[in-house]
Formats: sequence, C-alpha cells, structure tokens
Amino acid sequence: MEKGIQIINAWYKHKKWKPFEFQLDVRNAYLAGNNGLLNAPTGSGKTYALFLPVLLEYMAANPDFGKPQKNGLQLIWITPLRALTQDIKKAMETACAEMGIAWKIAVRSGDTSTKERNDQKKQMPEVLLTTPESIQIMLAQKDYALLFGSLKCIVIDEWHELLGTKRAVQLELSLSRIRAIFPEFKTWAISATIGNLEEAAEVLLGSIVSEGNYKLIKANIKKKTIIRSIIPEEIEKFSWAGHLGIKLLPQVMPIIEKSGTTLLFTNTRSQTEIWYQAILANYPEYAGIMAMHHGSIDGELRTWVENALHEGILKVVVCTSSLDLGVDFRPVDTVIQIGSPKGISRFMQRAGRSGHHPGATSVIYFVPTHTLELTEGAALKQAMTDEIYESRDPIVLAMDVLTQYLVTLAVSDGFYPKQIFEEIKKTHAYADLEKAEFESLLSFITVGGDTLSQYDEYLKVDIEPNGLYKVNSRKIAMRHRMSIGTIVSELSMSVQFVSGGRIGTIEESFIAKLKPGNVFWFAGRSLEFLNAKGMVAYVRKSSKKTGIIPSWAGGRMPLSSQLSKVLRDKINEVAIGIYKDEELIALKPLMDLQENLSKLPCSDELLIEIFISKEGTHIFVYPFEGRLVHEGMASLLSYRLTQTKPMSFSLAMNDYGFEILTDSEVPKEFITKELFSTENLLNDILHSLNANELARRKFRDIANIAGLVFTGFPGKNISNKHLQASTSLLFDVFEEYEPNNLLVKQAYNEALTVQLEEFRMREALLRIAGQKLIIKEIKRPTPFAFPIMVDSLNREKLSTESLEERIKKMQIRYEKA
Amino acid sequence: MLNSSAEHIILGQTLLLLPQKAIYWKEQKTLIIADLHFGKAAHFRKAGIAIPNGNINSDINLLTKLVKNHQPECLIFLGDLFHSDFNNEWNLFADWRIEHENLKIILVKGNHDIIPDKFYTSINIQIIHEELIISPFEFTHHPLTKAEDILNNKYYRISGHVHPGVRLSGKGRQTTKLPCYFFGEKQAILPAFGSFTGNFMIKPKETDQVFCIVKEQIMVM
Repeated sequence: MEKGIQIINAWYKHKKWKPFEFQLDVRNAYLAGNNGLLNAPTGSGKTYALFLPVLLEYMAANPDFGKPQKNGLQLIWITPLRALTQDIKKAMETACAEMGIAWKIAVRSGDTSTKERNDQKKQMPEVLLTTPESIQIMLAQKDYALLFGSLKCIVIDEWHELLGTKRAVQLELSLSRIRAIFPEFKTWAISATIGNLEEAAEVLLGSIVSEGNYKLIKANIKKKTIIRSIIPEEIEKFSWAGHLGIKLLPQVMPIIEKSGTTLLFTNTRSQTEIWYQAILANYPEYAGIMAMHHGSIDGELRTWVENALHEGILKVVVCTSSLDLGVDFRPVDTVIQIGSPKGISRFMQRAGRSGHHPGATSVIYFVPTHTLELTEGAALKQAMTDEIYESRDPIVLAMDVLTQYLVTLAVSDGFYPKQIFEEIKKTHAYADLEKAEFESLLSFITVGGDTLSQYDEYLKVDIEPNGLYKVNSRKIAMRHRMSIGTIVSELSMSVQFVSGGRIGTIEESFIAKLKPGNVFWFAGRSLEFLNAKGMVAYVRKSSKKTGIIPSWAGGRMPLSSQLSKVLRDKINEVAIGIYKDEELIALKPLMDLQENLSKLPCSDELLIEIFISKEGTHIFVYPFEGRLVHEGMASLLSYRLTQTKPMSFSLAMNDYGFEILTDSEVPKEFITKELFSTENLLNDILHSLNANELARRKFRDIANIAGLVFTGFPGKNISNKHLQASTSLLFDVFEEYEPNNLLVKQAYNEALTVQLEEFRMREALLRIAGQKLIIKEIKRPTPFAFPIMVDSLNREKLSTESLEERIKKMQIRYEKA
Repeated sequence: MLNSSAEHIILGQTLLLLPQKAIYWKEQKTLIIADLHFGKAAHFRKAGIAIPNGNINSDINLLTKLVKNHQPECLIFLGDLFHSDFNNEWNLFADWRIEHENLKIILVKGNHDIIPDKFYTSINIQIIHEELIISPFEFTHHPLTKAEDILNNKYYRISGHVHPGVRLSGKGRQTTKLPCYFFGEKQAILPAFGSFTGNFMIKPKETDQVFCIVKEQIMVM
C-alpha cells in the first residue's frame, strides 16, 4: 500500500495538485471495503476521487503493476451519457500512463462493433466505460458471469441524473444480479447535490445500506454564482408564454457580445431552433461563431460542436438539456436560461457550466418568456440564498422493467425464479414486491397472461424440466437483445441531404405533415423537403428565410415543488406589499392591475376567478403548484362539480394555476372548500375520465419496455409490419380482456404518481384546507388568467355525461379537410 | 341523431349501416364486412408478444349474431380477413365456417391476407384477387386514392383497408374520436370490424357523408 500511496502522491505533485479532503475520505472508505456515495459537483476532481483508490488497491495487490497482465475486468464506470465516456477515458489513460500502470481502458456502448465486443470477451480491459443499458446487454450474453469474475468496483457517475428514471431501476436489477454472483465487489456512485442524498444511496445499494456497510461523503465545495434577470424595458400586463422570450433579443445580445463563450439554454428543441434562427436573422455576423446543440441533431455534428466549444472558437451555442451534463467547456464564462428552468437544481447545474477556473464565479442570466415569469427570477435567487435543492424520487415496482430483466436473464443462461426473487427483494425498487405479483409476471413471460386457450401458441420463455426459465427461440432472443433499454423514443425519421450527409432525426409525425417542396428549419438550417423513403426524409438546402419549425414531443416539465414553494412566498410578499427584488419591483404595474381587477392572494388565501365569455364559464384557480398538480386538481374539481349535475369541461393549466371551462352555468355557490377535500381523493381521481387517458399515455412506454412493441430490426421494416399495433390499441385490448394485468395497473400507478403527482397534490390540498377561498367574479381576464387562457396547448377534457350525450351537445362538427 | 342502424340509399340500392361495423345490402341479401383481422392477437402471441386473446371470441360471436339477425345469403369480406401467417386461430374460423356452411362467402383479398388461397377454397370461400363487381358497385380492399382514378372509375367502389375514424369537436373545445363509415361521391369505406384494430382519422370533404359509430348506435351527420 505504501508504495502505491507514494506513487500517487508523487503524481499529485507532478500535476501541481493538492488532493481535496473529500478525495482522501473516499480513498479511506474505499480501502476499508466500504460501498458509498460521493456528493461532488462536476469539475471538482470527482473522477480521480474514485479512480485513484481503485488503482491503489490494484498496486497493493499486484507489485508487478507496470506489466500488462490478464487481470480481467477490474472497474466498470457507468455514465448516463455516452458522450461523457471519451473524456473520462482520456483522463484515466493519462493517469495510468503517468503512474506507469499497464491498464487498458475501453468504452462499450451501442456503437461498439461486434469485433471489439468479441475481443473484449476474449480479454476484458481492466476498465470498461459504459451505460446502464450496456450492463444489461452484457447480462443477456451466455456465460455472462465470466465477464464479472474479477470485478473490484462499479462506479456510477452522475447518479442524480439516473435516479428517478427507469434506467436507475434497470441498473438496480443488474447490480442485484452481479452482487449475487460476486458479493465482494464494491458499488460507488457520484451525485451532484440533491434534496435526498440518503435515499439516493439506498437506491444504489439496496439492503446493503441497512447492513451499514456504506459511507456518504460530501465534497462541500462551494461555488459562487450570480443570477441576473433580464427585465423587459416595457412591462406588458397581458402576456403569455412565449410572447416575450425572443422579443428580449436586443437585451440578450449585448451580454453574449461582451462574454467569451455563452451557452444559451432553452427548454425545448423547437425553442432552440427559433433562437438560433432569430440570432442569425438579426445578427448575421454570428454566422460561423454560433452553433446549435440538441438531442435530435446528428451525433457527429454534436461532437463537432462540443470540440469547437473546447477550443473556444464559438461565441455562443444555443442548446437544450443535451448540454446539461458532461465535461466542462473551459471557455464558457456565461450562461443564459430562456424561460423557466422549472427547478432550482437544474438552474444551478446550468449556471455551473460557466466559470470553471479556480475561484471563478458562475454567471447565469434568466430571460422570462412572459411577464409574470419574471417572478421566478426572484424566486430562484431566494432559493439559491436558502440553499434549497430538489429531491429526485426513485421509481419503485416498475413491472415493465422487471419483465424486461427477467427475459434478459432467460435469454442468456436462464434463471431460477426462487433465486431471482430473493435477489430483487434486496433492491430498493422491488423491496415491496409481492410473491403473487412476481408469479403473475412469470406467467406473463411463459404463457402470455392468465388466459389460456387450446389454440394458443404463445412463445417466449420456456420452463425446462429442471425448473430453469429459458428462452430457446433464437428469433425471440435476438429480438429481445435488440430492444433492451428503458428509453422509449418517438418513432423518428432520419433527415438526410439528397446529396448525402445526415443532419439528425425528426419525429415521423412531423415529416408526415410535410408535402414535397415545404421548407422547414432544422439544426439551424432552412431545408426543403423532397421526399421520404422508408425511414429517411430527403431534403436539400433552401434559400427561403421562412419555414416551419418542427416541434418535438416530450412532456413539459412541471415547476418543482421546491421552486413552487419559493414562488408562493414571493407572491405573498407582493400581496402584503413587500417589493424588495428588482424583478418584483419591475412587475409592480402588473401586480397592481391584478389587485385591482381581482386580488393578489396572500399565503393563507386561495384565489379563484370566475369569468363568463361566449365560450361558457371559465373558472380560474391559482394554487401555484406546477403544471401536473394543476392538471390533476382541475380534473378532480371538474369531477366533483359534476356530482351536482352532469356537465362537460375542458381544462387548461400552466405552472401557476388552471382553468376549467364549461358550457354549463356554474353558480358561485358551487365553489366550496369541499371541492378541495382530500377525502375520497384516490377514488375521485380514478373516476375522472382523465385517469384512463393518462394511463393510456403511460402505457406507451410501459408496453415498449415490457416487450409488447417490436420496432423491428434495422433496415428490415417491411416484414415486421404485421407485428405492429399502436400502444393505444394494445391498451384498449388489455383493458377489455385482461384488466388485472400488472402492466395495465402500472400504467394507472404511473398516471397517478408521475403524471398527476398524487402525493404532491395531496399535500397541496392539505395546504388549501387551511386557506381561505377568495372567489372573484371578473369582467375580463386578469394578468394571472391571461397566460392560462392563451396557453391551451395542454387542454384536457373531462366529462361525466355519457358519450352519446356529449356528442349530441357537441354541435356535431367534424374536422374537415 | 342516434339510431340503432342507418338506412343509406345510394344508386337505388338500400344499404343498412349497422353499429356492429357491417353493412347489410337489402336488395342482394348480402352482408359486407371489412378488416376483420382474425388471428391478429395469435400472430402477436406466437412472436412472443403477450396480447390478451379474449377478443377472438367476441369477434366471432358478433359475426354469428349478425348472420343470425339478418339471415344473409351472401357474406363479402373486403380483405384483411385473416391477419398474416397461418396460426391456430384459423381453426376457430374454419369451425365457424362449417357451422354456417350454407352461407355463400366471398373474400376480396387484402394486404394482410397472405396465407395461400387453398386454405380458403378448402372451406368453400371464394377468392377474388382484384375487384368483385356486383352492379352498381365494385368491391375491393383498397379505396381509390388518386383523383383521376376516382373521377374515371366506372363503378361505385366499396372498400376497407383504411379503418376510418373522425375527430368530432364541439363547444368548450372538446374533442372525441369515433370509428365511421365514409361515403364519398364515387366510393365508400367501411370501418374495421375486428376489435383488435385501430382507427385512422380521416378528414372528409363538404360533399362527403359520414356515419359515426357511437357504441351500439349509428350517428347520422
């Protein structure tokens, strides 16, 4: 051990670095045989904090460490993004070379060639950099146990990014298997600061935490961050989402101008295109020093942008969350956030993408997309001062991921249910899994559900005479290996120049609407659509300056509950007349108008506005709890209102409040505290029509993950056409013929917990129980109401009238060509 | 207006549009059905995709009921009768056929009908590969799509394939989707009969006529 420590110390000296205290803490914990979680920000030396102890352990056990050996796999390093692996690889290789350790570092991902994989199988590198999916793919190979035999440690980087996703669940399952075969190896993860670090460790380690063999180490590195809001020169009192944003370009450009390199974050890919195009149109001198980066742009192009960022040749990059993660771009000294970041952690993480030099300050500018959103600027500053962070709630009991995992094990070496059940009970995700549920899944993968008929030919997992569950069909094995993963993407088409060259991917639904000759903007270019062949859309450059911008699917994130809370505090401040933040001072005319037309609600009040238009009765409610909770509350309220008389509603919401619109009359006396009661909450939610619709939407991903949807082998689309059915149709069939199916139940559960945020809604309702209802009949929409009315994108419907009744009422119009 | 069925008179012929997604042609005593997709769930299951297979019985029971209620002399399937390759559900259908041996059955083949003709001929089902003409109509699987073809077509075409549906919208910004019958100037399209089939939303023109299916009723628009 001594020698190894000397080498590492000498290396630090050579680098002119001084090890941080947390790095030494990790080393001690690791060498003492602990598992653990390291809480450290990017760019703090977190990679070395874990890599060096692994090297140290190796040097101590292998005095001959300078010579290449057949060591087998020592360390698996998992990152959520493939893009991160190359830089980590470089850092590790440098360290090994400089310390004279003959280790091979390799990357394995979806892009790794079969030849490379086979080479790796013959002789595994010492370090494998990979993704959660690739680990599961390894478990789908025959004799997978041989791969992990010499493993010392698995490190999961950016754990906070995985936590709360099904990818984390998938990883929990993989870890449970590897741990069962080789209980000796250690699991570590690295996470940025989140509100629930202890829970993050439990998800990572499962029952190991209760056994006590783990350490939580915090780096405690504080970085100075400055938040600046862009305050519009003129405060429009009636403003809606997207109305402002780009209008502030003249105020945004000087910031970019005086900065070194700026990252301009938007919330959606289409916003990215819009900003890119607007800058180019108004500031043509930015051509060549501006780039765009989002998830639909071709990988090669993205890599080019990343390299250009490193080299400092770009002045500004317009991007989405695709640049949230990853290695530091040293030249970046300014970050601009367009629109609400929806959460404090995300905002701070983005801020952290600037100012990487030691002692440097991160600077982030907040650009509101509508006037009222400026309030969030004040809230974000407050949250930073108070050091508030969001939690990432882990997913539990995901039956789709478990189904996929069981088939994975059946595809490789087969499994014995008893043994696997014990293993998965030790994970955080399935600690509460019931035996009956597990058995139901087993019958799902072996006989295809509960219903059996004499004609049935269901074929998937066989049970061998010795009780081993195994896939014997090569076709099914191959199909399964191809579809391992929990990220379900929209059916998308590749966009290519007719002269050759990929540009990226766009959802098929967008391409389907295009006619040859149509011009659209993508990846910052004006493109003319020529034709579509198979899954490729052919385009050529267009000189037209106007074109449509594709919109990408993808849920709009709700305002986090932490940020919502701070936002409510800010609204309360102005309601009682405190104007101390520059954002709120600027908003005073709007707030005054709100007070005059209706009211500014204090923290012990819930504001409700009723407005009659020729469309019907609009009821606006402002709980300030985020879009999803509002969606749930709106359905709940509508449902409860219909208990007095049948009527139909349509709903709209934003992060601040919601609107229910009905063509029936709703007397003021109908709006009571009882409507907000938590009594019968679950029952009432499930009875609202929305539950079925929401579950149907959730079922899309579930059906994909559980293997009910087969997207086909690459380039072999036609022959699989007869195996395609929309998940919505599958959902209908399941609901009708197998309503107790666990996947259908999961869809409802996800609709409740993820989509409706039932837990959060319950808390909000309990808060409302202690508030006074302030009901205002308004003559015209207020500044609070206006953005909701305009933003009818997410309009939901709810009705307790029978379908027949509804249709009679619907003036019978159908959409015509 | 909701009815238990709708009588639609076209070219002097009386077509009874049923909410069970079948047309009864009175003059010819003929039942017309499109896109049944028998065997679809079984096809999926055989490939390891666990679709519940309860729908097969409900589809076949419905078929039995229709034949019993209307006592047709002839039954025309407008394609996609049996979904993809042979599987055991074929036997279920063959059994049904034998129980109704006196019924004349014609299949106009569709793109999913890929099992060999001899399967059909062995249970006395007549196969039509192109179009079946019973004046004033022609029956096919595919509707006409090109404007000039529609204009120049000699007969009024009745087809399936599309699984048509429409989106209805009303006051209060509500919408709902329903399967429908489509009647244009030169052709009609039937809704898909099978319960394991989806809908494709069509956008009819002013001159087109659409009959929506609202559960067990037909809505005349």
